Amino acid sequence: MDKAVDVLRSGAVREAGPGPGPRLTRAEARRQLAYELVSGLSGLMLALFMWGHMFFVGSILLGDRGFNWLAEGLEVTYIAQPTVFIILFLFVLHAALASRKIPAQLKERRRFFALGKELRAASGQWRSTGEELPLKPHVESWLWIWQVRTGMVMLVLGSFHLVLMGMDILTPLFGDRMGIEASTSIARTTAGLVWVYGVLLVCVEFHAGIGLYRLAVKWGVGSRLTRDMLTRIEKFLFWFFIGLGAVVLLVLASVIPPPLAFLLGG
Amino acid sequence: MAARELTFEIFRFNPQDPESTPHLQTFKLTEEPYMTLFRALNRIREEQDTSLQFDFSCRSAVCGSCGMMVNGRPTLACKTLTSDLEDKVRLHPLPAFKLIGDLSVDTGTWFRSMAERVEAWVHERAPFDPGALEDRMDDDLAQAIYESDRCIECGCCVASCGVANVKPAFVAPAGMNRIARFMMDPRDARNDDEWFEVVSSDDGVFGCIGLMACADVCPKELPLLEVYAYLRRRALGSAFLARKKG
Amino acid sequence: MEAAGAGHEVTIISLVPPRRSHSCAAQGGMQAALGNCVKAAGDSPDLHFLDTVRGSDWGADQEVVRMFADSAPIAVRELAHFGVPWTRLRPGPNQYHIKGERVVIDEPEENAGLIMHRDFGGTAKWRACYAAAGTGHAALYAVDGEVVRLGVQVKDRTEALALIHDGRRCWGAVTRCLRTGSLGVILAKCTVIATGGYGRIYGQYTTNATINEGTGASLALDTGRVPLGNMEAVQFHPTGLWPSGILVTEGCRGDGGYLLNNAMERFMVELEPAKQELASRDVVSRHMMQQILDGKGVDHPAGPHLWLDLRHLGEEHLTTKLREVYEICRDFLGIKPWEDLIPVRPSQHYSMGGVRVNKDGEAYSLAGLYAAGEAACWDMHGFNRLGGNSLAETIVAGRIVGRTVASHAGGVEIDIPISLANEFLASVQQRIDGWMARSGEGPSVYKIRDAIGEVMINKVGIFRTGAELEEAVVELRRLHDQVDAAVLTCRAPGPNPELSFALRLKGMAKLALITAMGALARKESRGAHCRTDFPERDDANWLSRTLVRWGRDDEAPSFEYEPVGFLDLPPGDRGYGQAKRVEMTGTLEEYNAGVVEGQRGHGMLDPVEPVGTHLRPGAWRDAEERAGLGKIGGGH
Ligand SMILES: Cc1cc2nc3c(=O)[nH]c(=O)nc-3n(C[C@H](O)[C@H](O)[C@H](O)COP(=O)(O)OP(=O)(O)OC[C@H]3O[C@@H](n4cnc5c(N)ncnc54)[C@H](O)[C@@H]3O)c2cc1C
Ligand code: HEM
Ligand code: HEM
Ligand code: SF4
Ligand code: F3S
Ligand code: FES
Repeated sequence: MDKAVDVLRSGAVREAGPGPGPRLTRAEARRQLAYELVSGLSGLMLALFMWGHMFFVGSILLGDRGFNWLAEGLEVTYIAQPTVFIILFLFVLHAALASRKIPAQLKERRRFFALGKELRAASGQWRSTGEELPLKPHVESWLWIWQVRTGMVMLVLGSFHLVLMGMDILTPLFGDRMGIEASTSIARTTAGLVWVYGVLLVCVEFHAGIGLYRLAVKWGVGSRLTRDMLTRIEKFLFWFFIGLGAVVLLVLASVIPPPLAFLLGG
Repeated sequence: MAARELTFEIFRFNPQDPESTPHLQTFKLTEEPYMTLFRALNRIREEQDTSLQFDFSCRSAVCGSCGMMVNGRPTLACKTLTSDLEDKVRLHPLPAFKLIGDLSVDTGTWFRSMAERVEAWVHERAPFDPGALEDRMDDDLAQAIYESDRCIECGCCVASCGVANVKPAFVAPAGMNRIARFMMDPRDARNDDEWFEVVSSDDGVFGCIGLMACADVCPKELPLLEVYAYLRRRALGSAFLARKKG
Repeated sequence: MEAAGAGHEVTIISLVPPRRSHSCAAQGGMQAALGNCVKAAGDSPDLHFLDTVRGSDWGADQEVVRMFADSAPIAVRELAHFGVPWTRLRPGPNQYHIKGERVVIDEPEENAGLIMHRDFGGTAKWRACYAAAGTGHAALYAVDGEVVRLGVQVKDRTEALALIHDGRRCWGAVTRCLRTGSLGVILAKCTVIATGGYGRIYGQYTTNATINEGTGASLALDTGRVPLGNMEAVQFHPTGLWPSGILVTEGCRGDGGYLLNNAMERFMVELEPAKQELASRDVVSRHMMQQILDGKGVDHPAGPHLWLDLRHLGEEHLTTKLREVYEICRDFLGIKPWEDLIPVRPSQHYSMGGVRVNKDGEAYSLAGLYAAGEAACWDMHGFNRLGGNSLAETIVAGRIVGRTVASHAGGVEIDIPISLANEFLASVQQRIDGWMARSGEGPSVYKIRDAIGEVMINKVGIFRTGAELEEAVVELRRLHDQVDAAVLTCRAPGPNPELSFALRLKGMAKLALITAMGALARKESRGAHCRTDFPERDDANWLSRTLVRWGRDDEAPSFEYEPVGFLDLPPGDRGYGQAKRVEMTGTLEEYNAGVVEGQRGHGMLDPVEPVGTHLRPGAWRDAEERAGLGKIGGGH
C-alpha cells in the first residue's frame, strides 16, 4: 500500500527513510572517530604538502639551475626519498578513508546528485525584492560532488605521477642520473604530460581548497560570519595557486621561458 | 502594477489511492498583496482542487508543520512570500521523510524516533522537589541552550542534507542539534562518556561531511555548523580523556 | 504524564505531532509569582490571585484561581527541572524599557541566576517568566521530552471524532487516522480533552492556529450530557496582521504607533482624544471595527483592513526594540516597517469558554471525562484572561487533572459491551458515508466556514448589541442547517482533507451559534463580553456562569446558569475598562451558601476534596499593602 516515491525525481521509487536507527557499540564509535581524524588529517597534510610542492616545482621559474639545485638539495639530504613514500601512503590512506563517505549505491549517488543540483539551482528561481536576499545561495552540496569527482581523477592521474616521481627519484631510469632534473621534467611535460598536469592542477587546487574550507568549518573555525571570510580565503588561495601553477606549467611545457631566471643570473 | 499570474507546479501523489501515480499538476492563481504560500495553497485547495494535501498549523513560522521544497529549496511555506518567487512556483514535498500525500510528509514519526534515540530529555540528577527554590543558572548559559532549543523540528535541514537523504541511520542535523542542546545543559546528568556512542560515529556527527546545506536552509537560522563543531570537539575530548583514564 | 508516572497506560492522540500544538506560538511568558527581580519584589500568589480574579471581572471560580496561583511557581520550577531554559536574572545594572522610558535598575547579586520576570499582561508586579522569545515553544518541548521519556504512546495525525459513553461515564473515543483515513476505537478508563481553543469559528479573523477549531468542545457537546461553560467569553486583539492573522504585539502602539484608515486619518485621535491609540484593547478594537464597517477600510482581496503606521519610529528603533515586529513584517509581508504601512485588523485571540469541569478537571455530568487547558472551562479566567495566565494554566491544570486521572483510573475497570463502542463507530462511519454519498449542487464547506467567520467577527465581535446578535443567531442558524446540504468535491481515498474539515464543520457551526446565543442572552457587560446596549456589569443578575448543553436530538441548545463559585474577594472594580456596575443584591454569605448545591444541580460531580478546600479566605487582604502597592491599585 505504501508506495514510496523519490520526490526529487518524480516517478522513481525509493525506500522511505524510517528515521534514525539503533546505537553503535563503543568500539565502533571509537573506530569511526579515528577514521574521521585520519581522513581529515591526511587531507590536511596532503594539502599542506601540495603548497610546498607548488613552491618546489615553482623553482623552475628561476630556470633549470634553480630547479636542479633544489631537487638535488632535497635528494642528498634524503628528504625527497622518504617523502615519496609518505605522500604515497597518505594519498592512498586519504583516498581510502575519504571514499567511505561516498554513498555506495548508484541509486544513492543519484539522489545526492539530484539534491545538490536542486539546491544549487534554487537561488535562480527566487527573486530578491529588497536588499536582503530571500534565501542564502547554497553551493556547498554541489561542490562536494565535484570534490569526489576531482578526487577520482586525482586517484588515477596522481598515482601515475607519484609512481613516475618515485622512479625518477629512486632509479636512474629517467634522465642522466638518479633524481629529478629540470631537463627531464621539461622534456616529458612538453612531450604531452602538460595536459595531464593541467587537469591534475585544477583538480588538486579545487579539491584541496574546498577540502580545507570544509575542514575549517567542520572543526569550528568558521562561525556564520567567518564562513563568508573562509570562502573568500579559499577563493583567493584557489586562484593564486591556479595562476602560479599555470605559469609553472607553461614553463615546463616550454611555452614561455623561465620568467625569473635573471635572478640567478641565467 | 498589475497583479501577476502565478503558475504553480505541484507534486501530486496519493499513496492511499491505487490509481494514483506521481506526477506534477499545474495550477494558476492571481497574486495578491502580501500573499504567502499559506494563503496561496489554501486558495488552490478551496477553489481548484479539494483533494490537495499539505500541512499548516500556526501559519506564523513557529510550529514547523509546513516544510516543503519551494523551487528547489526546503523551507517553511507559511513564511514564503510569493513576491519572492518567480512567476513559476514548483512545490515538492520534503525528501528524506515518508510521504503521506502530495506535499504532506511524516515528520512527526521521524522526530519522535530521533527523540527516543538521543533520549531527548533532561536526565535528572535528583527528583523534583516542589518546595525548593529553582536551581540557579547563568543567563548566558540559559541563552545558549535556548539558541539550540529554538529548533522547531520542521525537517528542512534533514531534507536538505545529502547524507540524511541516503542514510536513514544518520541522526541528521536536527538530531545533532538536539544532542548538543542536552550536552550543554548542566541539569542533564549524562557525561561525555555516556554520549560517546551516539555522538562519535558515522551515524552521529562524523556522518556529517560538511555539506552545510542544513545551515543555509534552516528557517530559524540556527547556528548548526557551530553546533557540529562543538560536538566534534567534545567527542575528541572525551576520547582522549577516556584513554587517559585507562 | 502524571498518570503515566503512576504506572497507567496512556495514549495521547493529536491532530499534529504534539510539538506542533498551538502552545508553541505563545511568546510572551507564563505568569508565576516568584518575585525574583526588583520590579517583582514583594510579589506573592495572593497578588496573582487578586490580579486574576479582577481580570476575570469576577467571573472566575475563586477557588480554582487560588489553586492556580499557589501552584504556578511550582509549575514553573518543575519546567526548569524538565529543562526549560528560562531567561535568568543578571545581577547588576539592567536596562529596561518601561512605558517607553529607558530605565536602569540595579538587580541585587543575591538573586543572580534565578528565573527572571518581565512585565506582561498588565499585572501588579512583573510576574511573567519567559524563555527569550519562545516561552510556549520551550515549555512544550520540555514537557513533550518527558512524554517521550515515560514512553507514552503518541498517535499523531489522529483525530477524535466522537466520545464513547454510556450516558454516565465516558469510555474513550472513536478516532480517525489523518494519514490513511481509517477509523479506530480507543477504549479508556479516563479520557482527557486538551484540544485548545475554538478561535477558528472566527474564520480567518483569529490569531489562533488552523487546528484550533474547537473540536474538543464539540466532542463534549455531542455527548448531549456535558455542558460547555461561558462560550460567549471571547478575547480579541486589535492588531492581527492581515491577511494572515498573525499577532502583532501591543508594544508597537505603546511605543507610539498610529492607526490609519483608508484616508490616512488617525481616527483614534478624533474618537478618543485622551488616550488615542493607547486606549484599552477592547476600545481600540471597537473603533477599528467601526471604521471598517463604515467603509473606511483599505481594500484587499481577502477583505478590508486598516493600517498600522510605525514609519516615524525609525529603522533603528524597529530593528532593535521592536525586532519581533520587524521580523514579522519582513517574513510575512515583505515590507520594511520604517518605509511601509502595516495592514492590520482586530482578531479573535483567546477562548475563555470550554468544556465545563469541576476543580479536579472532571466534566459535569459525565464521569471519566476530563478537560484541561484552553479547551476547558475550569474556570480561572472567567470573562477575561490575563496575558501569560493561559500557558501557566495548561501546566498547572495538567498537573492537577493528571493526578486526579491517575487516582480515578486506579479504581475503574473497563466493563462495557463491545457493541457500545461499535455503535459509536458505526455512527461516525455513517457521518462519513453521508458526506461521501451526497452529490449534486450544494454550498462548499469552505464557503460556509467563511460565512460563519464573517458573521462572528461582524456581529458577535468585540462589541455586541442585541439587534446584531439576533441577526447573527438567525444567520448562524441558517448556516448551521446549511452544513447538512453542503457537498464535497473530493472523493479521493485516504485522508481526504476536505472530508476531514467537513467532519468538524458541524461542530464549529454549533459552537458559533452557541456563542452568539449566549452573548445575546447575557444582558450585561463583563470582561471581554461587552454589550453596548447593556454597558454595566450586573452582579445582581449575572454573577453566574453560562452552561449550555445540546442533546443529540434537540433542535436547539439549552442554556442554564450556575453560581461562579465561592466568592472570597467581593465583587468590586476591575481597575480598568468600563467601571459602571450593578451591585449584587444579597450578601457574600448568602451567595456562597448556594454555590455547592447550585453547581451540583447543574451536573457538577463531586471533586476528590470538597469544594472550597483550597480557598484560603481573606488571604488576599492587605496583600497589596504588604507588597507596597497601596489598597485597590493593581491592574491597569
Ligand atoms: C499568538 C498567540 C500568543 C499567545 N501568547 C501567550 C502568552 O504569551 N502567554 C500565555 O500564557 N498564553 C499565550 N497564548 C495562549 C496560549 O498559547 C494557549 O491558550 C495555550 O497554548 C493553549 O494550550 P492547550 O494545551 O490548551 O492547547 P493547544 O496547545 O492548542 O493544543 C491542542 C492539542 O489538541 C489537539 N487536538 C485538537 N483537536 C483534536 C481532536 N479532535 N482529536 C485529537 N487531538 C486534537 C491538537 O492537535 C493539539 O495538539 C497565546 C495564544 C496565541 C494565539
Ligand atoms: C613526493 C611526491 C611528489 C613529487 C616528488 C613531485 C614532483 C613533481 C615534479 C618534479 C614535477 C615537475 C614535472 C615532472 O617532473 O613531471 C611535478 C609536477 C606536478 N605535480 Fe608533483 N610531485 C609529487 C606529488 C604530487 C602529488 C601528490 C600531486 C597531486 C595529486 C602532484 C601534482 C603535480 C602537478 C599538478 C604538477 C604540475 C606542475 C604545476 O603545474 O604546478 N604531485 N611534481
Ligand atoms: C587520491 C584521490 C583522492 C580522493 C578520492 C579524495 C577524496 C576525498 C573525499 C571524498 C573527501 C571528502 C571526505 C569528507 O568530507 O569526509 C576528501 C576530503 C579532503 N581531501 Fe581528498 N581525495 C583525494 C586526494 C586528495 C589530495 C591529493 C588532497 C590534497 C591536496 C586532498 C585533500 C583533502 C582535504 C583537505 C579534504 C578535507 C577533509 C575533511 O573534510 O575531512 N585529497 N577527499
Ligand atoms: S534545525 Fe532548523 S531546519 Fe532543522 S528542523 Fe530545526 S528549525 Fe528546522
Ligand atoms: S547538510 Fe548534512 S552533511 Fe553536515 S553540514 Fe549539514 S549535516
Ligand atoms: S505553519 Fe507552522 S511553521 Fe508554517
